[in-house]
Amino acid sequence: MTALARDLVENIHEKEMHFDQLTYNWVDITNDFFSSVQSLELGELLHDELFGLFEAMSAIEMMDPKMDAGMLCNRGNSKPYSFKQAVDSGALKLHNLTLAEVIGIIDSTYSCIVSWLEGHSLAQTVFTNLYLHQPGQILDKSLRTFCYAIYKIIEIIKDCINKAMVFEEEDFQSVTYGYRLQQDITEQKTIAMLKEVEEELHRKSRIKPVDDESNREYNDALALYARIRFTKMFYQTLSLMGRKEQLHQNLADCQRLLSNCSDMMQVMIKTVSRGVKADELCDHPNIMGFDPMVNQRLLPPTFPRYTKIKPRSEALEYIDELLNRLKTVSKITGYTSFHGALDFFLEFSRQSPCILSRSMLQIVYLPLTNRVFGTQSFGDVLRDAARAFIAPPALMPKITLLQNHQAKDYVDGFLGHCVCLFGSLVQLSGHNRARQRDKLAHLLEDFAALQDEAERVDSYLHTLSLKSDTPRPHLAYFGTWILYHTLRVMVMYLLSGFELELYSVHEYHYIFWYLYEFLYGWLMSAITRADSFLMEQDIHSETHKGRGAKKSAKNKKKKSTPRPYSLEILMYQAMQNICGGYYKALMGFRMDKKIPLPESHFDSERVRYEHRLLPFASLLTPPPVPYQEFLDMTSGQMLNRDETVTSEKQYLAGCGHFHQARNMLESALSLYPANVHTVNQINDLLKVSKTNFIVLKLLAGGHKKDSTEPPIFDFSCHQHFPLIKLA
Amino acid sequence: MKDTVHSMSTTPNTEAVHGNGEALPVEESPAKLKLRGWLNRHLKIKMTDGRVLTGAFLCTDRDANVILGSCSEFLSEEHTEARALGLVMVPGRHIVTIHLDA
Repeated sequence: MTALARDLVENIHEKEMHFDQLTYNWVDITNDFFSSVQSLELGELLHDELFGLFEAMSAIEMMDPKMDAGMLCNRGNSKPYSFKQAVDSGALKLHNLTLAEVIGIIDSTYSCIVSWLEGHSLAQTVFTNLYLHQPGQILDKSLRTFCYAIYKIIEIIKDCINKAMVFEEEDFQSVTYGYRLQQDITEQKTIAMLKEVEEELHRKSRIKPVDDESNREYNDALALYARIRFTKMFYQTLSLMGRKEQLHQNLADCQRLLSNCSDMMQVMIKTVSRGVKADELCDHPNIMGFDPMVNQRLLPPTFPRYTKIKPRSEALEYIDELLNRLKTVSKITGYTSFHGALDFFLEFSRQSPCILSRSMLQIVYLPLTNRVFGTQSFGDVLRDAARAFIAPPALMPKITLLQNHQAKDYVDGFLGHCVCLFGSLVQLSGHNRARQRDKLAHLLEDFAALQDEAERVDSYLHTLSLKSDTPRPHLAYFGTWILYHTLRVMVMYLLSGFELELYSVHEYHYIFWYLYEFLYGWLMSAITRADSFLMEQDIHSETHKGRGAKKSAKNKKKKSTPRPYSLEILMYQAMQNICGGYYKALMGFRMDKKIPLPESHFDSERVRYEHRLLPFASLLTPPPVPYQEFLDMTSGQMLNRDETVTSEKQYLAGCGHFHQARNMLESALSLYPANVHTVNQINDLLKVSKTNFIVLKLLAGGHKKDSTEPPIFDFSCHQHFPLIKLA
Repeated sequence: MKDTVHSMSTTPNTEAVHGNGEALPVEESPAKLKLRGWLNRHLKIKMTDGRVLTGAFLCTDRDANVILGSCSEFLSEEHTEARALGLVMVPGRHIVTIHLDA
């Protein structure tokens, strides 16, 4: 197929060339040219009026290995072979391969797959393996079967990633350069073939070795057995995970398959040295069957990257971690509530997972548009989420508000828009971390519109409810729910700038100020309102039910347990204090001239401030805080009460914040959070608070007061909240 | 874009445009006029690694770095299979021969 396509292209080019050769009349001007350019000044460009430096910038530089993909073709004298040429010349064995050779080919192929998953093109990675060009011609049964399976695995991976749509050009190349992935072999057939090879190898492994030679062969056979068995189960896992029917059952099977895959992978990692030339290090697989140049001519002119294929053992480690990530992904089915699932998505993304596991998580959660796990409607899941979050009366059972058609239409319409927005939020969390920040900024515009709608629905329901037989206020229910999510997105947006190292140290103070003074405060007030509405709902349902002593006993029990949001409120309070601590510390540093500032002619703090907070401008609640207000508020703080605000006082205030944060985190820990990630997060934040407390205490005592050496902000403990270190 | 380039160099034939975009009125030497006459003509350049490039001559400098537009690449002089490259810059130190389509 591919050979045919290439022949065709060649023919066309040939025709073109014959045509061209007739029209050209080449005259040698080499010496003339080189002497003429001597007349140009140093740095002078001779060019046409229509061609300028701007155009020149996009030229690719020849003979620069990073830009010139064609350069590598002429290195060395070995001309790349096509599959057929390689077989005819005897460079490619089709049968009588040794076990070590097959193991080497298999491991190198996995290296190529891993490099492909890291964003390189298929042509420069997996299809540098000549055996994959014509798997049907291979006579060695295990290698042939493996090659067929690889086609299948690549196809499934490509489909999953394309379906999840969470990749950008830097994550993944989906172009296949004319290689046809759909081999005419069904999944069952592929599995059956793999099983057959696996069993044959298994049988071999029963014959115990008698001498050194047979001992080596025995161990090689075992190593190959592990690879074939892994390939089979890996293929099955990917195929099951990508399926939209019977998702829960499939994922349960996947868990089992994945743990078997991991076992086999351990064997593979241990036996990687059994493959030929496993100890040689180079940028490409160096064994029979691989030719890094074979597809070089297929590449577009400005092919962006020089492809370095991962060494075999590193690649296998990568797959081992991929298996662990897929195990994590399969746990998503335990999160039936939307808020739980969203936190799961965000936590998963925090670890910067690979494109395949990110995509898998997306298609497992929403295999069909608007169907969570392929069964529940996403709208219903969101309805449950809103109900659990704040108990809007309109969504509660036995409330007749929604019998009004207009009201029902409004609520359904609102939830429909929520499906779009929260769908985008979930999808966004699948993108790479840098892209997420961009997308968060755009998402805030949609949140602004949804906030507006939520408020209008609330007020309509409010008017309707007050007119009904059982009047109850219905203000700020949906509004608070959307506001809560808006604020979380805003916090994520600001914090991501630290993680991506976008802010300069001299910008930190207003970022932390914004978080401390506004966002966390707003978040706490939103969640406290939700808490009190939930409480109201409890009282309401209690008074309306109120039958039997059994029920009220149950309710009493409920009251003794902490409020549902107490942990979350404590966490936000702690983070607010941490941000307050940084803000005060930074103000102190600025007063002590410890923060290097940019040259004043080139600097405008206002421009910088407005740029950093630009995405918040579209929101009505919380209203954006203009730069002037920042100046007024912060200078007001500095001049307040007594005239002489010293840096020591700032440090001391910061110290107090970190101290409070520590107390809050400790009481959060005493609530025994169920989620292990929360516990880890608390412990990290505790370390940050304790360390910074001590540093600020030292500074408040006048330690290194005269040094203008800038402090170091060390993000190694937490990706958003640094440890302050004094040089 | 065209307009801005025009306004920058109003009388292109009598001016050399410096790399920084500054236009200086200079008497053009015969050598420069010769080079200018080759602009937009087809060149065939052989590089040190044996590859041959053909394309429209757009720009050069004192080190004979050459920019070719709509460039095609051939693996050697015998090869007929072209690979389209587009806009390329060939460093002067990698140029072996230059041919002009007369």
